[in-house]
Amino acid sequence: MNRSLVILLGALVLCAVLLSGSYAVSRRVCQNCMSKSVSDLDWLQQEFHLSDAEMARIQKLHEGYLPKCAEMCAKIAAKKSELETALNGSTNVNPVAQQKLAELAALRAQCQAQMLQHFTEVSQTMPPEQGRRYLAEMQRLTLGFHEQTEPSMSGSAGHEHHH
Amino acid sequence: MNKENINPDPGFAEASDTKLGALLRESRISPALPPRFQEGVWRRIEEAAAPVKATGGIAWLDALAALVLRPRFALATATVLIVAGALLGVREGSQMAKQDAQARYLAVVAPNSLR
Repeated sequence: MNRSLVILLGALVLCAVLLSGSYAVSRRVCQNCMSKSVSDLDWLQQEFHLSDAEMARIQKLHEGYLPKCAEMCAKIAAKKSELETALNGSTNVNPVAQQKLAELAALRAQCQAQMLQHFTEVSQTMPPEQGRRYLAEMQRLTLGFHEQTEPSMSGSAGHEHHH
Repeated sequence: MNKENINPDPGFAEASDTKLGALLRESRISPALPPRFQEGVWRRIEEAAAPVKATGGIAWLDALAALVLRPRFALATATVLIVAGALLGVREGSQMAKQDAQARYLAVVAPNSLR
């Protein structure tokens, strides 16, 4: 094999190793440094450039919301367990299971409404522009506005349901 | 039996060798050298002594390999690659850290069962 070709191939491999190595190391170090000692609310401060006073108000709202959220989660978990019991061993959706499904949906809706209310309150503690952006982002992320599951399964996407 | 000396006189032997040499030189016919013979011989010697020249596509490969082997060029290239990799890594790392922080906030305020 040509000596020059071997040298060039070796140089290319060395270049690839140097580039990928420095990329991997710096990415790891950067991610570790930025993730260290981060609280649950740090993302808000970084993303929406909030002052300490605004963060203190949000912290208070956050602490008030968490017990309500945990309570709703416990209710939803209990209802899911009831639904599972109703469906256990059944080969069709019986009236009890239907009722549990409706109750579960109602609980989820109640929980979502409470969550949206919290997002609204938090957005109102921010400067108007940041507040609007926060609210839109949270609705997009939590209500699945960005997901294309239903549109892709509806008739508009060329798929038809056969009932 | 004693060894018999045919030419006891050394002077006579030397004179006959010289005569014989002259006769032999005269009897050999040497052709005339072609014009610029000596110059041609030297040129062929130089060509044989010179390294084999690379031809065609191999030439640029050799030139590139020679460039790569220069310490200054190698050092500069390595520095550029390391800096570029580090910058890309920092950008990607900060994006990932931001996504982690966002996911952490969402996990607290919006449990997966609602999403």
